[in-house]
Amino acid sequence: MKTMKDLSTSLEGRVSELRELKKEGKKIVGYVPGGFMPEELVWASGAIPVGLNRGGDPSAVLKSAEYLPRFIDTFSRSQIGYWAMGEEPLYQMVDLVVVPCTDRNIGVIADGWEMWTETKVFKFGVPHNNKSDHAFKYYLDGLHLLKEALEKLTGSTITDDKLRKEIDVLNRMRLLLRQISEMRKSERPPISGKDYIKLHHASFRTDRDIMVTSLESMFQELKGNEGRKGPRILLIGSSIAEGDYKVHNILEAIGADVVIEDFSEGMRPYWQEVENNGDLVEALADGYFRKRTPPPAFFRPATEERVAFFLRLAKEFRVDGIIWYSMMYRDSYDIAGIYFRRIAEKEGLPFIKIMSDYDTAETGPLRTRIEALIESL
Amino acid sequence: MLFAGIDIGAATAKVVILRDGKILSYAIIPTGFDVINTANEVTRLALEKVDHSIDELEFVISTGYARSAVPFANKTLTEILCHAKGVHLLLPRARTIIDIGGQDSKVIRVGESGNVINFNMNDKCAAGTGRFFEVMAVVLGLDISEMGPIALKSSNPCQISSTCTVFAETEVVSLRAQGRSREDLISGIHKAAASRVVTMGKTVGYEKEVVLTGGVAKNMGVKKFLEDEIKMETVIPEEPQIMGALGAALFAQAELGKK
Repeated sequence: MKTMKDLSTSLEGRVSELRELKKEGKKIVGYVPGGFMPEELVWASGAIPVGLNRGGDPSAVLKSAEYLPRFIDTFSRSQIGYWAMGEEPLYQMVDLVVVPCTDRNIGVIADGWEMWTETKVFKFGVPHNNKSDHAFKYYLDGLHLLKEALEKLTGSTITDDKLRKEIDVLNRMRLLLRQISEMRKSERPPISGKDYIKLHHASFRTDRDIMVTSLESMFQELKGNEGRKGPRILLIGSSIAEGDYKVHNILEAIGADVVIEDFSEGMRPYWQEVENNGDLVEALADGYFRKRTPPPAFFRPATEERVAFFLRLAKEFRVDGIIWYSMMYRDSYDIAGIYFRRIAEKEGLPFIKIMSDYDTAETGPLRTRIEALIESL
Repeated sequence: MLFAGIDIGAATAKVVILRDGKILSYAIIPTGFDVINTANEVTRLALEKVDHSIDELEFVISTGYARSAVPFANKTLTEILCHAKGVHLLLPRARTIIDIGGQDSKVIRVGESGNVINFNMNDKCAAGTGRFFEVMAVVLGLDISEMGPIALKSSNPCQISSTCTVFAETEVVSLRAQGRSREDLISGIHKAAASRVVTMGKTVGYEKEVVLTGGVAKNMGVKKFLEDEIKMETVIPEEPQIMGALGAALFAQAELGKK
């Protein structure tokens, strides 16, 4: 796919580009891509947002042991490992790290940066209940504080005009990601599960205008294309990190593929837009939090909504089986996985639950489970 | 026509040679380091017993954790499907299979035709696997074959709270220092491992008839404590270790029908 190649070439040069921009005085803002940090605010402040979303490497997990105890979500734990190894340029060049704390594990990412690095950290809470006015106000207050922190960092005011322009661009990006995703409802999806996830990962570090242009061409390129026909999987869980493509690789090797995903970290929520009128920070809070699809957590009062969303995806994308893929020690997802297994079984949908610690020793059993799921469909 | 199913497990390699839907021969050897050599050797052994050679095999399916390393296999399948298929041939009323091998344990729910309805297996942790019993046998200075019979002798099994192989070893050493009898200790180890496997399989559920397979099924202590946990009787095939290889051989034979 030509656009995919072009995008990957552009990504290769992105780090040098960012270095140059940094030399010119631009600020680089790292963030944990879990869909609660409105990049519109960062772009509108004149800074450049980059998602810190590496994962899947056992050496980063091992390195993290020097800084953090073991029994913490593997994705969260390995973030300090990537910084400490010094091999990921983005982790070294950020001027500010923004962490929307959705739970204690993600909070640990902020703790790691605060305790062990010189980089400034801005953290704000994301409540689990997006139905209450109090929770909305709490999240909105977090965004106002973030806006202030960004203005202080860049010395530039975030005006409504700048914000409106960025909301438009990001809405376009979300819409295109959604349209490309929905192409996978066809019997022969024109884009593989791995390429689709890589699009999200690319969007965390590419310039938003270039990303939108790439997605526009990709959408045109994919129209009418047909890919492989095979068993269709819904991949759902906690984090799908950049570099952690083992489930996709195992599936692809046996002729199956992911046709739809639902992850908290590592994907850009694309099912809703942000209104571009009224109080724009409030509009961001509304789109990123109150109207977020699916809601932030699976616990009540969001349970029914999350389950309905899960079943809707399974039906609309005509999936044959579910793979629940969450990180080791991410307890809330462990609990949710057991609950979703029962829901899936009631619906006659084969389901396997995998917990990953980014460990090479897990590869064999992982392959066996995934292959057995596909064989038994 | 001859068909073979080869199951290269973490601890042992098994092969079943099938002719006309019946077991003609089988062999079991330790897996060792060189899996390719092991695959050749175990197949040669089984075929030699009945005066045949590898060249005469019509179709070969490999299974087990090293299934992809068998050079002469025509196809690979996971051991989950193969166990279900193998057990179904010998015990068609089986609806649940508890398979405990050298490195993993699985609970498989099977349908009336031997199809897999649901399954669960341990992750990389060795708790409740053959390896767990091997380590405990070494700690207690016993041969692995002695463990099961001794486990049945205690009426007061020790409470072993951890089934992590490493932590359980520490716990056993500590209990031994407290003067607990060998029978109570070994019985406690079996109870803990059985409980771990049964808990893992609860998401899959237990339905009669429950069949035990894998090398650990030969341990009568495990059988007793598994039955206590699930409150059902269990059945063990005559040779529980070769069910995966048998299933693979049956799938190999079925391949001919596809052609």
